[in-house]
Amino acid sequence: MARLFVDTDKFADSEGPPIVEAFHSALKDLVRRKLDESGGDWNAFVFGKAQELITAKEIAAVEARLLATGHRYTVSAMISQRERPDAYKPVAGSEDPATFSFEHPDARVEAADAQGREVRGQGDNVVQGKTNTVGIARYFRNNDNVMHCLNEGVPDNTIAIIDDSGGTLTAPILEKFKGVICAGGTIRSHLGILTREYGIPCLMNARISGIHEGDTVELETAGPAKTGEMYQRGEDGSVRIWKHASKN
Amino acid sequence: MSKELSYAQLLETNNLLQNHGEETYWLCVTRTVQESKLFPVSAYILLSYLNAFYRWPTLLRKIEKHMPAERIADRVRNATTKIETIGTGWCLPNFYLLGREHLINMGMIRPQDAIEDVAYVLDFWKRYSLSWRRNEGHISAREANHRCQIYPERKLQVFHADQYPCEAGDALHTAAGKFMAATAQYGFLASCECRVSMTAHGPYKVADDCEMLVRNFYDLSQSDYPWLDGVADDVPYNCLTVTTSVKDTHFYLVDDWGSFEAKPDYKAENICGVGLYTSDPLTETHVPVGMGSREELTKTFEDLAEKMREANTKLWRRLATYSRDQLLDAGALVYYSIIKDIAHFAGCYEIDDWMMIDERAQRFRGLLNDEYSNEVLGAMLVPLTLPSSQVQEYFMMLHGNQSRRVYTPFQYALLGKGDYVGSVGGMGPGSSSLPKKVDRYRTTQGLISNAEYNRRVKAFTPQLASEKFRDLDETWVKYHYDTPLADEMYRIEQQYSRKLKGKGAGLRRADIEALRDRS
Repeated sequence: MARLFVDTDKFADSEGPPIVEAFHSALKDLVRRKLDESGGDWNAFVFGKAQELITAKEIAAVEARLLATGHRYTVSAMISQRERPDAYKPVAGSEDPATFSFEHPDARVEAADAQGREVRGQGDNVVQGKTNTVGIARYFRNNDNVMHCLNEGVPDNTIAIIDDSGGTLTAPILEKFKGVICAGGTIRSHLGILTREYGIPCLMNARISGIHEGDTVELETAGPAKTGEMYQRGEDGSVRIWKHASKN
Repeated sequence: MSKELSYAQLLETNNLLQNHGEETYWLCVTRTVQESKLFPVSAYILLSYLNAFYRWPTLLRKIEKHMPAERIADRVRNATTKIETIGTGWCLPNFYLLGREHLINMGMIRPQDAIEDVAYVLDFWKRYSLSWRRNEGHISAREANHRCQIYPERKLQVFHADQYPCEAGDALHTAAGKFMAATAQYGFLASCECRVSMTAHGPYKVADDCEMLVRNFYDLSQSDYPWLDGVADDVPYNCLTVTTSVKDTHFYLVDDWGSFEAKPDYKAENICGVGLYTSDPLTETHVPVGMGSREELTKTFEDLAEKMREANTKLWRRLATYSRDQLLDAGALVYYSIIKDIAHFAGCYEIDDWMMIDERAQRFRGLLNDEYSNEVLGAMLVPLTLPSSQVQEYFMMLHGNQSRRVYTPFQYALLGKGDYVGSVGGMGPGSSSLPKKVDRYRTTQGLISNAEYNRRVKAFTPQLASEKFRDLDETWVKYHYDTPLADEMYRIEQQYSRKLKGKGAGLRRADIEALRDRS
């Protein structure tokens, strides 16, 4: 089989992460095979015959071979899993927010204090406010959650719990939130930028445990804001998230 | 047959490659990853890079048949357009080069393939950037230690003089803040989760304790993006510039990704002056929006914020019905078309050039699942774990000291050998899963067709971009400010200014400050 120019490499030890290794190794095999078929002249092949011989169908077959081994992809955009449930791993809790809670192993958990507040996690404060922020926890993890509130209205005092640090999933309802707990990103993420612009209290990069839909939560937004320099120095600087004891 | 590059051209090309690679690494390592539950972001980014690699060389050559890069930049310096810090400062060279690097790592090309295209794209970027940044004398934000001071004195004087003072809690301050929040949010959605719809440049020193940051918002109305047809028709401006003066705050970083950082930390409550403008390829200079009075500006910010909210909600409802392929195409086209305004300024914009995915990029779609896309994009940018990034072990890269680099340089052993293919060739057929674009474009001259937009741009030469004025730079003004020609040039810039109209070239910053409204 033909050798590729990049097959001789003094310093490269691997193709990169496992899924990259799987795809790129298979692609290189495809290129070698098609180069042979074309007669082996690289200069005639690379922007010439390769464009006819290395087709979308051939490349899709590379993916199909990986899925045939049982590999399932980790999802980022919810649409990916929704359209190809057989190709992606399921997303925990995405269909049943009523019983779901994030359970981050590094969430700080402490017993209830004199006011009945249990520490249930921590996050990076985007802007230091004058007071803490208290409201009702509600998860927003997919389009259906957002569409429901877009049609029915966002309930008062909603503290949105989001694992998307982007600014688009909750775009049409973000302004209505009383506060935001985001289990991802940093103060510089799009969601951090937008909540700062709107003046909505927000904790980014949150790690929480045992907070369910409907719980009363308190964000320590009167605490210090995290700065960009603190990230670069590796300083924690997070503030607390409490769950209030149920009144029942 | 390929045209042979000289030793000097290769040296310069490799220098530009290395500089872009180092800046890319720094930007990535000091910022967060871009995440979205709505859009397949990494997948669309990769598709856009591949599309840029296959199409941009042809499109930039086409543009330069109409107008050279450095003269386009002269016009752009006087307008609100995406082809400034974010679009051309970083995205133009790096989207293209990242597409190249991805293909090298897939074994699809050798490092020396498309060498003439690479040299040309980087040369285009160099000429454009040197021209756009000529007032500060840098080639890049990196070279300026991450500042971006683009404007000449004449424009800064107008922005400074016409700003309305404001303070936290007053109606104008509140309205301006809500406008920027609503527009930023809509911009993220319209641009499929990326931040290319907004940038900032500056800082510009308006007083010893006050700096001005110019914030720009782009592609807000019905224009190039098919997904905004029927959604953004009521947004009355496609591009808006908000001038903000911020007291007691020093902006020590204003980078090509629209990020700014300050000491002490930036707080909206420190904004103490605002102004609002629009412009496009059909305007002479920035045109004030709602700047007739403080009350009018407050109302304008409020009305525009409401328009943005309405468009935002309509757009979200539309995007919630899109398939993954449509979301992928929309995001890829936002990224790929980041430099489309170059074609608008040259009067040669075509939908098939800028709103389609080339079949050579399209064929990789089957690989672009979420996991592979996240992993390969990450590996290509920060850990630099792909094969092409590995170099000899004595080398210590800037910022990280690893024996790695972002972009593969060209070997000098190529000189005189000709063992490469110079160009990817012309554009292949393009396609898109998105609805057909409605032929209606929002400009400062109203809603017009693509052909009419091109025709009007070709027929229009802004006075300040004419041979008479375009090379009268800041150094010329320093030594000729008292001439009729300098007065004439300043008066063109001042034509819409409520404070400076007709005042000419003789004013200093203190004179401007004295002319400003006090409250």
